[in-house]
Amino acid sequence: MINMAAGLLCGVLSGCGIGGGTFLLLYMTGVTHIPQSAAQGINLLYFIPTSGASLFSHIKNRLIAKKGVLYCALPGAAAAFLSAFAATSIDVNMLKKLFGGFLIAAGIKQLLFSDKSAFNHPEKE
Amino acid sequence: MEIKALRLRFMLSGIAAGVINGFFGGGGGLLLVPMLSGLCKLDMRSSLATSVAVMLPLSVISAAVYYFRAGISLAVALPYLLGGLLGGVIGGTLLKKAPLRLLRAVFALLMIYGGVRNIL
Repeated sequence: MINMAAGLLCGVLSGCGIGGGTFLLLYMTGVTHIPQSAAQGINLLYFIPTSGASLFSHIKNRLIAKKGVLYCALPGAAAAFLSAFAATSIDVNMLKKLFGGFLIAAGIKQLLFSDKSAFNHPEKE
Repeated sequence: MEIKALRLRFMLSGIAAGVINGFFGGGGGLLLVPMLSGLCKLDMRSSLATSVAVMLPLSVISAAVYYFRAGISLAVALPYLLGGLLGGVIGGTLLKKAPLRLLRAVFALLMIYGGVRNIL
């Protein structure tokens, strides 16, 4: 039940596009002590229904840049495949530390260099 | 912005997000959202929503690799999936009204805390 509540809370954040999956990863490794690589895999699985559910609202509200999705997702998918393969080939403790470094860098970047973009319309081609 | 240059920026953003998503099992949106807004000039809410749409197929592919190579237990994953599904619906409806600046600041602080804990 507690794990489901954690998933729900993180799902709300993910639905807002604010990265709830990152918190879920920290919860799984820090609280339930799931190994890093398994937690990463569960996190990816979790994101699939979460993002699918929120997408309906985003589409309805016309917030998605459709052509942008296409140009992002195709090369991104190849990159994701190769990177996931690499991650599942290295030591889990090393993976955890690398993830920690990534979180610190991302947090500092977001805190100190947050984007101030004020454009009000999606891209048009 | 010239169309070809914009397409290239989208592609670079997708590749960067894919690398992070695949290697760390998530977090691709952390890179993708600022790239979509800063590099590709989408407004913030469109960046967030577009990021969700991009990360979905990337997560499917990465999850498949982890499933076959990292031995994920679906029984362990199920509570998170169910909670996440409900939460995603709620989050999607809240996006238009969410206090994004505040949430992003809190999120940033929690990320730094989480990162330090992971390393120590």
